[in-house]
Amino acid sequence: MNGANLPLLQNALTVGAILFSLGLVGILTRRNLIVMFLSAEMMLQGIAVSLVAWSRYHGDWGGHVLVIFILTVAACEAAVALVFVLQAFARTGRLDSAAWQSLREATIARTVDHELPAVDTVPPRFPTLTRAGVLPPADEDEPLQRDHV
Amino acid sequence: MPDLSPATLLVLVPLLPLVGAILTVLLGRVLGERAHLPAMAGIAGAAAVAIVLLAATARSVSPAHGPHAEPVRPVEMISTLWQWASFDAAYAPPAGSPAADMPVSPQAAGAHADVRPFSIPVALRLDPLTATMLTIITCVGLLVAVYSTGYMHGDPGYPRFFALVAMFVFSMSMLVASSNFLLVYVFWEAVGACSYLLIGFWFTKPEAARAAKKAFLVNRVGDFGLAIAVFLLWMTYGTLDFHDSVSPDGVIMPGILGQTRLADAAGYAGGAVGTAICLLLLLAACGKSAQLPLHVWLPDAMEGPTPASALIHAATMVTAGIYLITRSAPLFAGCPGALVVVSIVGATTALVAALIGTVQNDLKRVLAYSTISQLGYMFASLGTGTLLGFTAAIFHLLTHACFKALLFLGAGSVMHAMGGVIDMRRFGGLRRVMPVTAATFVVGATALAGVAPFAGFFSKDEILAALHAKAWPAAHGGHHAAAAAEGSFRFASTGTAGGAGHGAAVGLDALDHPATWQLLFWMSLVTAGLTAFYTFRAVFMTFTGPTRVPEGAHGHGGHGGHDEHGDHAHGHAAVHGHHHPAGADDHGLAASYESPASMTVPLVILAVPSAVVGWLLFSTNWLGHFLSATPSLTAPAVAATATPHAFHMDLAVQGTLAAAIGIVLAAIGHLGRRSDGPQLERYLGPLRTLFAEKFYFDQVYAALIVRPLEGLAFLAAFVDRTVVDGFVDAVAAAPVALGSLVRRSQSGILQRYALAGVLGVLAIVVVLLAWQPRS
Repeated sequence: MNGANLPLLQNALTVGAILFSLGLVGILTRRNLIVMFLSAEMMLQGIAVSLVAWSRYHGDWGGHVLVIFILTVAACEAAVALVFVLQAFARTGRLDSAAWQSLREATIARTVDHELPAVDTVPPRFPTLTRAGVLPPADEDEPLQRDHV
Repeated sequence: MPDLSPATLLVLVPLLPLVGAILTVLLGRVLGERAHLPAMAGIAGAAAVAIVLLAATARSVSPAHGPHAEPVRPVEMISTLWQWASFDAAYAPPAGSPAADMPVSPQAAGAHADVRPFSIPVALRLDPLTATMLTIITCVGLLVAVYSTGYMHGDPGYPRFFALVAMFVFSMSMLVASSNFLLVYVFWEAVGACSYLLIGFWFTKPEAARAAKKAFLVNRVGDFGLAIAVFLLWMTYGTLDFHDSVSPDGVIMPGILGQTRLADAAGYAGGAVGTAICLLLLLAACGKSAQLPLHVWLPDAMEGPTPASALIHAATMVTAGIYLITRSAPLFAGCPGALVVVSIVGATTALVAALIGTVQNDLKRVLAYSTISQLGYMFASLGTGTLLGFTAAIFHLLTHACFKALLFLGAGSVMHAMGGVIDMRRFGGLRRVMPVTAATFVVGATALAGVAPFAGFFSKDEILAALHAKAWPAAHGGHHAAAAAEGSFRFASTGTAGGAGHGAAVGLDALDHPATWQLLFWMSLVTAGLTAFYTFRAVFMTFTGPTRVPEGAHGHGGHGGHDEHGDHAHGHAAVHGHHHPAGADDHGLAASYESPASMTVPLVILAVPSAVVGWLLFSTNWLGHFLSATPSLTAPAVAATATPHAFHMDLAVQGTLAAAIGIVLAAIGHLGRRSDGPQLERYLGPLRTLFAEKFYFDQVYAALIVRPLEGLAFLAAFVDRTVVDGFVDAVAAAPVALGSLVRRSQSGILQRYALAGVLGVLAIVVVLLAWQPRS
């Protein structure tokens, strides 16, 4: 049985390794937060393919079960990670991970490869309703609120 | 009905000043100018109780004029307050020592028959010696406290001063009332601490702080001797108690100075160990009583307030050494070598200090050297080891306490009026402006100089008689030699305590020769003359001649107002460089410089005993007989030397002659002259420099001890600052340096962190592949 499935295993593992490597390269080279997130998902799927392949090779369902778990966890993780990405965008208006460098050592200068294009300073217009009723009291946190999102 | 037994009263003597001290500390800020009240009430109560106790003790001493052969019965009363510490099995004494003969209670012994118990009871004792000392301490303490209300008036440390004085009276009365060597040691240190605090009372003044430190450190040398002596006593005798005690199961445990051991001819260790104990006790006494070579602290201690100098550094604390040796008389009686050393130290100190005193210009310093000299007299007397010697020393202690306290308080009165100036060259003729101080000072000086019939004459005469009896035994019936030779000292003969030291002890015994004592007698006689000289030199310089006062002084024209003193401390008073020209005085001297009544009344009170106590006690021999009932002095070796009480006309003539020569010389040099006029001391030549430089003791100590220690301290500081601190700094700097290397990697760029993680995983994979275990 093992001998018969060996090429199948090798092919599946190759696909898994390719997926993993692509994801790794994507994480290391891209700065867009969403793309980095997608790359991480791709690495995860590479591992899942490997697990399924080994599971089939050994005739053991444990790998399949584990992959189902991974998919579930990945779904949750995707939701959480997207929230982080959205919040980060809300703070800076950018999806560039290089916008977040505040964890660096205080004595080290900020790394800037080239100036990012200026954010569109004109706030987008949203449809508004006609004003009616009593003017609510001014919110004290008003100055802190962002002008977009 | 309160229990007024002597035991209760005895506890009150230390307790009342202690309570006074604590109240003064607690209420000092509230009471302000009345802060002396609690302390003074405590000391006054203690003085009253002490006098009652003295009378009670005197009643129990058998009368002097009984049948001739009847020996004096020892009188003592022990009051054990509580057990400080108690051990069933403390140590095993060396075989052959007196401690090995100590009875062992059956239940304590158990399996270890040779292991002895050890306990430290907090026990007070009352005997003639203690009663005498308590009376001196509390009465002088009371007078000094009264005087201080005037002298210390307005000082910012007023409550602190009285708290310390009361604390001192407590410590000193515990020292003389303790019935245990360990307690004596504790309060020996306590009086030293009080002395330190009072010398450094004006601690912002660098000289005072230095003097306090010096006194404390020099005293440490002596205290070290006392500590070793206490250890040796414990090892030798198996107990530190003075008194016999009864264990719970009825076995009598003989104390070191208890009557059981006193009755036992072989009860005391002689030889090397005995001599060592005695010499260590002498070292302790030398430290506290400022004897050669540890006398250097006392003159500097005059930086303290003058009342403290009078109380502690003249009348009471410095006599602790005399007390200790008198108390340990049975220990010394078995070691003639140690005794003769006591006398040699004492007579040498007396002579050297008197010589230094002849050229001092500071009134308080003259008195300080005089104190050292008189204490040397007492040591010389103690060293005779005879009953007369011991009682004469205590007699002189008593009279000296009176007239030296008087002289110090008089000097303080002068200093107070002269605005803190104490240099005798800068004032003169004060008898016209300070009549009470001058009169009482002259009474004290006459007593100190030993002029009949003032107090010092009689006590000095007894000391000379004691020395004379040792120097020419044939003239005094010759039974001292027999007394000294009697008593077999078994501990020495068994030789368990090191034969090498035994030879040294025997070497000391060889000093106990009439020729030595003759030399000591002549030294003492010369000292008597010198004493009269320097005392009256001070009197003439201060009180006779044209009246001059320094500029800083503040007279008050008879109204007795005292407020202009403000709150300046007397020790800080500005010293102005010039005094009034001698001729320009007359108009300014209508003002009186006399001190307030709170200061002059104690002077007058002290002048009375200074004048008459010597004659009273000598003519009746009351004190001598009273003291001979002290248990320590009923030891056979001491009691056997008792001589019939007599007045030695030849000695009296010699002593008076010496004093007269001294006074006449002082009068030739200083009477009625400007004090900076021609002086006899000019004719001393190079000796004058020697005396003025105090025999170069301080310089020698500085060169031999202080400088090397300073060098060592400098070296230690250098090693500490460079090597030790350098190591610590290096340890602290290493993480910083390491951190600065890896700090650059913290770029804050997400991809670099991810790359580092990937590379780390790769490295782990490579390592795992390369070093996978071969199975």
